[in-house]
Amino acid sequence: MNNAKTTTAVKKSNSKSAPKRKRIASLDKRKARAGWFFVLPFAVGFIAIYLPIIWDSIWLSFNHFKTNRGGGGFTLTFVGWENYRNALFVDPNFVRTLVSGIQQLIFDIPAIVIFSLFVAVLLNQKMLGRAAFRAIFFIPVILSTGLIESIDARNTMLSYMGDEMGGIESGSGQNAAAQIVSALDVERLFANMKVGTEIVDYVVSAINSIYDIVNRSGVQMLIFLAGLQSISPAIYESCQIEGATAWETFWKITFPMISPMILVNAVYTIIDSFTTEANVVMSYIQNEVYTQANGQVISAAMSWMYFLLVIIILAVFAAIASAFVFYQRRDH
Amino acid sequence: MNTQKLNTSPRIKRETKNKIRVEFERTPFLERMKARFGTTYFAQRVVWYVFRFVLLLGISYVILFPFFAKISGSFMSPNDFVDVTVRLIPKYPTFDIYRAIFVEQQYMKAFMNTALLSVSTALIQTFICSVVGYGFAKFKFKGNTLLFLAVVLTMIIPHGTLQFALFMKFRYFDVFGLMRLISGQTLTLTNTFWPLILMSLFGLAFKNGLYIFMMRQFYRGVPDELEESAYVDGSGVFRTFIQIILPLSVPMMITIFLFSFSWQWTDDFYTTLFFTTTRTVLMPTIVGIPNSLQTNYAGQNLYYAAINSTCGLMIIAPLIIVYLFCQKFLVQGIERSGIIG
Repeated sequence: MNNAKTTTAVKKSNSKSAPKRKRIASLDKRKARAGWFFVLPFAVGFIAIYLPIIWDSIWLSFNHFKTNRGGGGFTLTFVGWENYRNALFVDPNFVRTLVSGIQQLIFDIPAIVIFSLFVAVLLNQKMLGRAAFRAIFFIPVILSTGLIESIDARNTMLSYMGDEMGGIESGSGQNAAAQIVSALDVERLFANMKVGTEIVDYVVSAINSIYDIVNRSGVQMLIFLAGLQSISPAIYESCQIEGATAWETFWKITFPMISPMILVNAVYTIIDSFTTEANVVMSYIQNEVYTQANGQVISAAMSWMYFLLVIIILAVFAAIASAFVFYQRRDH
Repeated sequence: MNTQKLNTSPRIKRETKNKIRVEFERTPFLERMKARFGTTYFAQRVVWYVFRFVLLLGISYVILFPFFAKISGSFMSPNDFVDVTVRLIPKYPTFDIYRAIFVEQQYMKAFMNTALLSVSTALIQTFICSVVGYGFAKFKFKGNTLLFLAVVLTMIIPHGTLQFALFMKFRYFDVFGLMRLISGQTLTLTNTFWPLILMSLFGLAFKNGLYIFMMRQFYRGVPDELEESAYVDGSGVFRTFIQIILPLSVPMMITIFLFSFSWQWTDDFYTTLFFTTTRTVLMPTIVGIPNSLQTNYAGQNLYYAAINSTCGLMIIAPLIIVYLFCQKFLVQGIERSGIIG
């Protein structure tokens, strides 16, 4: 009632002195304007720089590229799908690399997610030297990226020499891992358990690449830790009172509560694996730029195909996973 | 049996007016210890404790071992690499490798340049990402969700996919053809710090989408009442942000600064992409075999690998120091940001 009155009053006064009156925007509108101002740097950059770059990248992948001799600059000639056809049917290695890259991706996701969940559960318990362990497990995120990773990747030729050096001098630490768990022992163990050879192969290769997996699960581990700490201790307490074992508590409480984090981490792992030096497809594509004639545009075509494939995998995975993810209903 | 003993009620004696003395029979020491340590529950706990500790120690070893190996290798001379008895401790220790990298590979120059680049881009990125993150967290405006989708897009499209287009963009820099209109030609920004600084200014640099996301999640956790009370007191939106919100988010900003600083420090994708000549000495340029250490000796491969690893060690040496002091911020930062929310 009151509201209605005031609005009519405002309308009247508006209609009387509409041209003279200076309009003051409502608080919401002013706040919206301020909000735009805050995100302005990103918005400008996105429209002025990022979108053109994406457009260029797609456009280039349909063109033939040639730098002009002497005068500088470059010429582009439109060739349609030729670059894509070249990459798929002419290049002998691309499809093979692509398939193995996708295989590696599918292999890496469960390994990294399971490992980081396991470590996060361990590090969430109270124990001696917890802070120190956390610090150590996070080292690779900071220190084993980019340049260091590529140096180590180049050093893998040393694993051949590893025998005579006892694995000491290999910067990659693969021999160190091999010394901890012999793949043969694992194989024997699983052979006794009569499970399929696929699982045996998976576990053995996971153990062999433990260094790689440990190196790439730092952030995921922290995300899991944060998720674990957000679970109310009261739930665990009541479980204990009801007499549930640790195993049951994990599967009935921790796992459902952490399942959104599993989805987040899987997505993060997929995206993150794009940028690592260990990614076969990306390093193949980057080599292409510098080695092949016309490599720049072919590499653009290749990486867009790879990107699309990974996005499809991501979408399928997210669609399947979101059916199983348990969301605790919250007030906010 | 035990219950019988416990059931004997304690005797209470009055000593003085305000003091009483309670006497009861305690269970014997041995039995108490037995009840505490002799159970299967305790045995399980001990086994689990030891198992957990050994496991964590083992994984820590896997992480730390390469560093130890690199450090020990960096002090070795070529003689050590052909000597079978030498494992981790060199027999003929030298500082040759360090000296060569310092003098011939211009380590100090690379250090200064990279420090300048990393600090400036990290500062810009930290500020821009917190501003943008704040905008996304606290304001509702038209195109809010669409723009945030754009942030997610920058997060998921790897820069490796765009690398050639990125290079072309900054080699022939132009915004909507305006440059060409004004000066008749495009700008060449490669081989300068400008590409990286520009990308940081617009929140488009490496992993900036992630930083914006983290800041947004952090600001969402900041209660709205804080700003509302500031508005009531007559402070504007921007003043509130600078005087109240920014000081509040310093720990989170330190986290993001450290991330962007250290990832820029060890970056070799952007530096090799944008710096085509070696005139600007940056960290990637110092990786290589110094001339004075060239050898055709038997242990050549191992020796060269050790030299490369030493380069890596020297590159991350400043980061190790930073990490030792600031790992608290890094480890807590992601937890605090509440990516979970």
